[in-house]
Amino acid sequence: MTKLKFRFSRKAFAYPYMIFLLLFVVVPLVIVLINAFLGDDGKLTFANFAEFFSDKGGGLTVLGNSLIIGFVTTLICLVIGYPCAYFLAKYHASNKVLVLLFILPMWVNFLIRTLSTKAIFMALDVKLGMGTVMFGMVYNYLPYMILPLHTTLVSIDHSYIEAAEDLGADRFTVLWKTVLPLSVPGIVSGITMTFIPAISTFAISEILSSSKIFLFGDAINMHFSKTTNSFGVGSVMSLVMLFMVIIANVLVSLTEKKEEVKSSL
Amino acid sequence: MRKILPIFLCAVLLLSVAVSAAACNPDNVPTDELVVYNWADYIYDYKDDFYAYYKSLTGRNIKVTYVTFDTNETMLAKIMQGDAKVDVICPSEYAIQKLLEKDLLLPLNYFDEDKYVADMQADFAKYVHNGGNVDRNVLGKIDEAFGAVSVEGQDGTRKMSDYMVPYMYGTLGILYNKYAFIDSGIYDYGIMNKANWGILFNDDGDGNLLSNGLTGNILMKDSIRDSYAATLFYLKESGKLDGLTSTDESSSYYGKAYSELSVGEFINAVDDQLLSLCQQALTQQKEQLFGYEVDFGKDDLLKGNAMVDLAWSGDAMYAVEESWDDSLCAACSEERGERVYGEEQRDENGNKYYVCKHCQEECGDYELSYYVPHSAGNIWFDGWAIPKNTYNPEHLNAIKIFINFLNSPRVAAENMMEIGYSSAVDPEAVRQDADARATLSRVYLVDCDYWDKKDENGNDVAEFDYGSWEEFEEYFFDSRDVMDNSNWRYPFVLSDDETRALETLGVMRDFGVNNKAVVTMWNYARSTGENALPLLGWTALVLVVAAGIIVLCEYIKRLRNSKIKIAPAASGGESPDKSDE
Ligand SMILES: [Zn+2]
Ligand SMILES: [Zn+2]
Repeated sequence: MTKLKFRFSRKAFAYPYMIFLLLFVVVPLVIVLINAFLGDDGKLTFANFAEFFSDKGGGLTVLGNSLIIGFVTTLICLVIGYPCAYFLAKYHASNKVLVLLFILPMWVNFLIRTLSTKAIFMALDVKLGMGTVMFGMVYNYLPYMILPLHTTLVSIDHSYIEAAEDLGADRFTVLWKTVLPLSVPGIVSGITMTFIPAISTFAISEILSSSKIFLFGDAINMHFSKTTNSFGVGSVMSLVMLFMVIIANVLVSLTEKKEEVKSSL
Repeated sequence: MRKILPIFLCAVLLLSVAVSAAACNPDNVPTDELVVYNWADYIYDYKDDFYAYYKSLTGRNIKVTYVTFDTNETMLAKIMQGDAKVDVICPSEYAIQKLLEKDLLLPLNYFDEDKYVADMQADFAKYVHNGGNVDRNVLGKIDEAFGAVSVEGQDGTRKMSDYMVPYMYGTLGILYNKYAFIDSGIYDYGIMNKANWGILFNDDGDGNLLSNGLTGNILMKDSIRDSYAATLFYLKESGKLDGLTSTDESSSYYGKAYSELSVGEFINAVDDQLLSLCQQALTQQKEQLFGYEVDFGKDDLLKGNAMVDLAWSGDAMYAVEESWDDSLCAACSEERGERVYGEEQRDENGNKYYVCKHCQEECGDYELSYYVPHSAGNIWFDGWAIPKNTYNPEHLNAIKIFINFLNSPRVAAENMMEIGYSSAVDPEAVRQDADARATLSRVYLVDCDYWDKKDENGNDVAEFDYGSWEEFEEYFFDSRDVMDNSNWRYPFVLSDDETRALETLGVMRDFGVNNKAVVTMWNYARSTGENALPLLGWTALVLVVAAGIIVLCEYIKRLRNSKIKIAPAASGGESPDKSDE
């Protein structure tokens, strides 16, 4: 009986956002899904998938290049980012300014950052190409690697490290056998937070190679432009992108579950 | 206070509405309406002039709503859906062709009617659209290019010129840094006219590199149609099409050799053979590119980031005029094959100028230049048309008067100054018209009221670009580039010249059913060429080396540990002391 009455619960505050999600996330996704199966004549077809997977428009080649660039970017970010995050965590208590220094670039609009990077390269007479694009990628995505790592490393209970030291581990062994395994969740979320945007980016490659290096994001962008007008293939590529995002998220949740099991033991 | 503020704001709002309403219609004259749909930045500040013109003809006021589009495709989509309420549009010729084929245009053939109608206010229907002013060469070229257009659901065929009033036109060519070319030793009539479109591919015409300096310094337009045309021309010139015949079964020239096609036919040829050759050429071109540009490469060319760019004449003209450098000596640079700068001097008023130490002349030259290859080129036209399904019949008179207004020589001069492209109004009409001459004089400060005026220090009030009208006229209407022997602004003026026959300029039609094939080719060409595999190889190498070093370090460490196993006894003796403390 009380169910009939309208109760203004806290849930109601979530409705605007639910509607927003429905309108601007779910509906567009459905449109993309429909478009992927629509031919030029408006009939149901698998031609768009055939065109993409046969590499007729070079889409598969671009995907390959993007995956390589994304992989290398993530690797470099991890190699640079982990020590950074480690030392930031170590001196965190004494120096918060240091952390700020690493976050600061993220406050500047990323287009402005990238355009300035290009201006610097041009002034130094550096030829734009793969090297400059890689620099731009690492420069832009490094904070996305450092932040999750930093969060995890800071939250590691210091008594684990002290215990390891007490048991006679040298500094390297402490890092290798204690800190590293405990920071795996941070590493995984850092990798996904770097890899996914890195393979879908288009502005960085466009600006830092004068559009010479063409990435998956560029290709999707081009398919949806008015002059090329090939929404179908573009939609297929968007779905491929979405598929990779889902895989990444599944991987993240898998590692998180493992952690839960570990900590409950 | 809080309650008064909204009331006060409301009052202000009401007041401003009343004031603006009054401003709109101060003298109770009826107001007509007109909705114009045009490219952005594609008209001068016409409003006051047009309002006055409209009132003088009709005695009524006009309210113009001006809407803009950024690509022909945006415009086409809006008109075809019929949801844009626009009266008059100004797309490119191929888009007009598309609309005509779909039977979406109202005829606009006023060119053969009398030029003057005595009582214009009484009879608008007979009113002529300055038809006599439109350059007949332009109309002829358009009809030659499009021929007889068949219209969906209609018998017979139509002429394009009956459905569009040409507005502006231009050519496609190569914008280049003249001084970079001088430095590279390729600023030469023979070299450039042998390479032609090969300049964009760093090909000297024989398949060799045109210049090492060009590598990595070429900009390509990120536009499918323009890049396709340029690549086709390049393929033909460089002999890559020799002996090949058209494989397009739907065309009238199926089986004919490509070399036998006219430029007008060739520029519109699309078949699998051409597409795969184009794709190859564009992929190979990547090694030579600085990149692709969307706007136009003026800044990159002036900063020295790139030397060459595929460009339209209007953009090029604008870029060239912006590139004036006071300190360059043109004659000596060309003679010596390197940049020659003059030495800085000051006149009695402290103004800087440069004098060449070789020829003792005052310096100054445009750093950029524009080149339309001799072999073949593309010419395009934008024109006004009335979309049948979106125009408001009540606005028809206003539409006609608007088009008429745009075809008056003075407005043509204003537009040329503002936009940079060539007006389709006959250059002779512009040259002879007193108002048009006054407009051009004002912009370039020739022969105007300030001519002899001095300020209190005896300096000229204004700086003059040209010494006299005749000097300016020569520059504006008759200037011919020494490299391509052509008039950038008026390609038709030289139509009787043996070096630039009009037959070498083709009009590009819509790709039609081939559109998808061309788009796929372009996508493929853009996607390939720059491979990330070497990057992966380098990364793998670095990883292997890093792993090797770690293993080596570990090995050395163990080796050392096993060697000094006896030693720790000494250090072991110290540590208990420490822990005692
Ligand atoms: Zn000089
Ligand atoms: Zn000189």
